[in-house]
Amino acid sequence: MQPIDQFHTDMNPESARAQMPNRAPGTGALAVEARFVRALIGMNLASAMEYRASFLTQIVFMFVNNGIYFVFWLLFFERFGNVGGYVIHDVYLLFAVVAMGFGLGTLLAGNTGQRLAYLIAQGRLDYYLVLPRPVLLHVLFSHMTVASFGDVAFGLLALGFSGYHAPVELGFYGLAVVAVALIYTGYMTLAGSLAFFFGNAEYVSAQLNMAMLTFSLYPHGLFGGGARLLLYTLLPASFIGSVPVALIQARSLGLLAGLWGVALVSCAVGAIVFAYGLRRYESGSALNVNV
Amino acid sequence: MDQFARAPVDSVDGGVPQVGTAAKVFLKYGSILYINLKNQLAYVWDALGRAFFIVVILYIFVQLWTAVYASQGSAVIAGLSLAATIWYFLVAEMIELGKFRHDVRISSEVKDGSIAYALVRPYHYLVYHFFNGLGETVMRMGLVLGFGLPVALYYGGVPPIQWATVPLVLLVLGLALLLDFIMASAIGLLAFVTEETASFRLIYQKLIFILGGLLLPLDFLPDWLQGPARILPFGLVTYAPAKLLVAFDMTQCLQVLGLQAVWITALGTGLLLQYNWAVRRLAVNGG
Repeated sequence: MQPIDQFHTDMNPESARAQMPNRAPGTGALAVEARFVRALIGMNLASAMEYRASFLTQIVFMFVNNGIYFVFWLLFFERFGNVGGYVIHDVYLLFAVVAMGFGLGTLLAGNTGQRLAYLIAQGRLDYYLVLPRPVLLHVLFSHMTVASFGDVAFGLLALGFSGYHAPVELGFYGLAVVAVALIYTGYMTLAGSLAFFFGNAEYVSAQLNMAMLTFSLYPHGLFGGGARLLLYTLLPASFIGSVPVALIQARSLGLLAGLWGVALVSCAVGAIVFAYGLRRYESGSALNVNV
Repeated sequence: MDQFARAPVDSVDGGVPQVGTAAKVFLKYGSILYINLKNQLAYVWDALGRAFFIVVILYIFVQLWTAVYASQGSAVIAGLSLAATIWYFLVAEMIELGKFRHDVRISSEVKDGSIAYALVRPYHYLVYHFFNGLGETVMRMGLVLGFGLPVALYYGGVPPIQWATVPLVLLVLGLALLLDFIMASAIGLLAFVTEETASFRLIYQKLIFILGGLLLPLDFLPDWLQGPARILPFGLVTYAPAKLLVAFDMTQCLQVLGLQAVWITALGTGLLLQYNWAVRRLAVNGG
């Protein structure tokens, strides 16, 4: 989980479109878009794996990167026992949730946050606007952050250490991390879309990304008052860290439903702000090449 | 920017013939530092935005360590009070967030070939980069300190600093930046061999996080790790200046200065050998 990763691959959505099956009679529009997204992800993956050495290096180093924070917490708990109501196994679970949720989000829908802000500011949405697909969906899934495979792998390792292995806990975990990925993607879509209104929003979205990740990886009990309110509203880091941890530990269907509600709201807000901002979008005269 | 860097250098060489060689060298690299500092001031809003992250980081550390001191029921842990710990993290983060990423600049110049242009200019490539980065470092550290100061003052109170020892701490800080420059430059020059150096940078950064005392002061590490961490160069970059500022100890200061001298000599020699080897390996094609 690197706030500003430097490992990106782009793919040409045209190639993906060429592989898409034609719309079968009677098939719903939703199924068609789902196949389109699946084709984009498949092409992103194929593109990333073209450079095997780079692919593996990025994954391994992201894994190592996350491991260092793990080492910090190991040393911390060895020395101090517990903090903010958390013991080491809670931190394992926290890492399992955040690494997997964040990893899934940036792996599959990599054009959010800083990258989305860049595309908007540089007039690179032109490419997507002239094609007969939902613009936001097309943009978001046209990029895969390869290093996020390392996050996903790390999430699984942390889950292994956490001790939450009962089938029902794994079920809660699976549903929670998908919701976390949606919350993160929705929020970072909103952050990137700020570029429609402020011009250059790359830095703001990068800062929001870093703040979200940083706050989500610390025990919730540390923060009180105004900070806690902030972490449930303007910077919803609690929803990608402590809330999923609490619902898995308590096996709470109510909390899980609430988390999914937040996920849907987050995606809806992201999509609405993007759609509203798109009306203000101004194309540039620069020649852009999508490789 | 490099074009502007030439002007004061030339004026030094041509306009002040009476000054000695050492003074000329000092003026030349001083001008490089000054020009980079001016360049940074031109983009002060960007730098302000970057520095703001210290508020987030410091706030989290304050909450974390307040909880730790409360749970331990002790006013002092491993010789550090809560106030000293808060100020320690401000200084450690100031160094980490403020220091110039020499490895990124050097590896970029190696990869795109612009190192060839830098090598023909009338300065030593490595010394130029040190002073060029120092200008930016000074400004970034100042901004990080400016943003972090209110948070540290609010939660930690007046810093537990012995003001008479500040010059010695500044010396340790200066040597720390030189040591960091040496290690970062060595990583940057690895681009001659590996082309991509981001992974080495990542490892170096993470070593600073743990063995350098950025996430946890070395005094809080388990005994088996403290010994090696105190000798290795990573702690001399971040931990040493921060710890000496908030809890100065003359014996420790002398040990740190000695270790810094040893590491700077050893790693500096290695860097020069690496640089000379790399320059011989450089092939420039016209175009």
